[in-house]
Amino acid sequence: MPVGGTAVSTPSGSAGRAPVAAPSGGRPRAGGGRRRGDGVFVLACLLPALVLFAVFMVVPTVNVFRMSFYTWSGFSPDMRFTGLDNFARLLDDEQFVRAFQNTVALLVVVTVVTMGLGLFLAAIMTRQRLRGRTLYRFILYVPSVLSVVVIAAIFSAVLDQENGLLNGALRLLSLDALRQVWLGDQQLVLWSVAIAMVWQSLGYYMVLYMSGMASIPEELYEASALDGASAGRQFFAITLPLIWQNLRTTLTFFVMSAVNLSFVLVRALTGGGPDGSSEVLLSYMYKQAYTNSSYGYGMAIGVVIFAFSFLVTLLVSRATRREPLQF
Amino acid sequence: MRRSLVLAGAAVTALGLLTGCSAADGDGSASGGKTTLSVAALEGGYGRDMYAEVIQAYEAANPDVDVQLQISKSIEDEITPNMKAGRFPDVVVLGQGRKAALTETLVKDKALEDLTPVLKAKVPGEDKTVGDKLINGIVGNLNTNPYGTDQTYLMPMYYAPTGLVYNKGLFAQKGWKVPATWDEMFALGETAKKEKIALFTYPTAGYLDSFFFALLADVGGEQFYTDVMTYKQGVWQTPQARQVLDLTTRLLKYAAPTTVGYANEQDFTKNQQAVLDNKALFMPNGTWVVGEMADAPRADGFQWGLTPLPAVTPGGKRYITTSVESVWIPAAAKNKDAAKEFIAYLYSDAAAKIFAKSDAIQPIQGITSSLSGENAEFYKVYEDPSVAALVGGFAGTAPVAGVDIKATLFDTANSIISGDKTEDQWQAALNDASEKLRQAGG
Repeated sequence: MPVGGTAVSTPSGSAGRAPVAAPSGGRPRAGGGRRRGDGVFVLACLLPALVLFAVFMVVPTVNVFRMSFYTWSGFSPDMRFTGLDNFARLLDDEQFVRAFQNTVALLVVVTVVTMGLGLFLAAIMTRQRLRGRTLYRFILYVPSVLSVVVIAAIFSAVLDQENGLLNGALRLLSLDALRQVWLGDQQLVLWSVAIAMVWQSLGYYMVLYMSGMASIPEELYEASALDGASAGRQFFAITLPLIWQNLRTTLTFFVMSAVNLSFVLVRALTGGGPDGSSEVLLSYMYKQAYTNSSYGYGMAIGVVIFAFSFLVTLLVSRATRREPLQF
Repeated sequence: MRRSLVLAGAAVTALGLLTGCSAADGDGSASGGKTTLSVAALEGGYGRDMYAEVIQAYEAANPDVDVQLQISKSIEDEITPNMKAGRFPDVVVLGQGRKAALTETLVKDKALEDLTPVLKAKVPGEDKTVGDKLINGIVGNLNTNPYGTDQTYLMPMYYAPTGLVYNKGLFAQKGWKVPATWDEMFALGETAKKEKIALFTYPTAGYLDSFFFALLADVGGEQFYTDVMTYKQGVWQTPQARQVLDLTTRLLKYAAPTTVGYANEQDFTKNQQAVLDNKALFMPNGTWVVGEMADAPRADGFQWGLTPLPAVTPGGKRYITTSVESVWIPAAAKNKDAAKEFIAYLYSDAAAKIFAKSDAIQPIQGITSSLSGENAEFYKVYEDPSVAALVGGFAGTAPVAGVDIKATLFDTANSIISGDKTEDQWQAALNDASEKLRQAGG
């Protein structure tokens, strides 16, 4: 997650500006010409990165938008411009609608559960002096280092209908009535995918929140404890407002992971089945673009995904905007 | 001065990055009078050694040809980037029915070279033409002539029967007879149920292709089968189509309860294991399953068996869906003539011998007599006079966005078993998809 790195470090951005300001201040003679030279040099240094960015990011993205107006199989020179036809067809496509619903469902459920559990665990780990918390942190973080294919293999074993971990545990607890065909039941399969997604990302977000909480000065908690605040009150009145910016950042990650991670996981774990019931937007796009030879149609789905992610991120960011609190 | 040096350095770096991407283009195809033939092949269950051996033999016979082999288990992923950039391999060994559907895409695009002349060409070093050597009925169907014309675009490379795979040993132990009609099949289903054995399972719903193709032909004859494959108007509303769905729906009621839960890429071998463990009697599968499950544990006395689908009427004709790997030439290939000669050589006795060593059986007359083991058992199904080979698949059309009739026909089985869809919905969806494809193809 390259975006993650830059986003997390934004709080320290203001501090990072100081050293740049110092040398220019200590060189009063630097004239306009000199500065322009610097500018050219900086530009030259940036050029390789900019070229790469343009070639590998900007051009493909523009191409996705362009291709969504064409009917093209992917190989032939026979490319037909069909305007908005692809988008009009999307509205009638039941499979697409279902994939969209699944993506939104995953987005909401995975975000709420992961965020809730992540905050809860992070608060416990930082505020309560748990014995062996380093070990817990390590264990919870391990899944986010694993490759998604490994996770799919693990969950295929966990969710196995006959001798899987989940059904096995239920049998052990004499809860046989609760045993399910986790990957075969069309009503359940999406939640099985959601469980795997939460399991994968929980540790990552927990660590993010923990780092935010660790930077909150201890005095605030001591003072509030003297005023008689309970742990719960402290969490909602001190911890949550002070890591609010942190939370907003992670919400963007949630949108990305719901779109991207669900694709990889669905592809490796269920293949979109049974009968398309666990299809998500990206996996459906992939199927249309590459196995149904409808490249333009696939790209139209890509545009919808782009617009959707953009819109959701924007809305979430607007809705959660608060005056940043300082400590 | 120094700054200009730095600038020049930066510019060189930037240019280097750009040119680095295109440096690999330079290899021409005819260097020093030698023709370079690029061959791309799917590394299937047969392995890669046989190709290396055949190419070696070919190069020995044709010193002026240099054959470059590219082989991979996901060959589509490796050749498509180059193809999109306009660099096509000369010969491609890749059948239809793969997930990436590269062959189907090129068929839909009419981007294949007409290989009818190869059929009439003599096999290098032999007297017979390629067409003479091939077994009857293997060319001239939708698999080789995808547009339903006399032109052959895909040459049949290897062929293998796909049918219902079962444990011969279990049938012998129980004294059961392999059902010859559907009535016997369902009667056996009841008998087996009492012994807690399911009648049917499938690895994934995609494996139902061989099942459906054969059943369509069994029920309505070859003409009806072709009608379905070419999306004839209203074909899914005919009584024959309904009978096919009726029989299937009834059979799916006997499916092993674990089938749907395991019918995915991750777990499909567990469904195959059910047959090895005597938990299910039949599954649609092909000869490759022997190798795929070679290391799997199995019930005592397990013995692979393969049978065509039961006949619809007693003594009726039964079809066995035959999977055929194809070899073809992209229309945009550079060395088409050399490529055609190479393909003709693939059918020579020398090449056939090398391929057969790796169990890759070519549709050449008289080849089955030289087989042994499970292969002999599997290819024996063609000897029954009431059994005929059925080749083909859905006809190529212009791509229709959002319509995938194979998914509609096969994957819905999952929903039929779980009760999420009814047979009527299935039939309606098939009719709808078929109609959309007909309009695109017409």
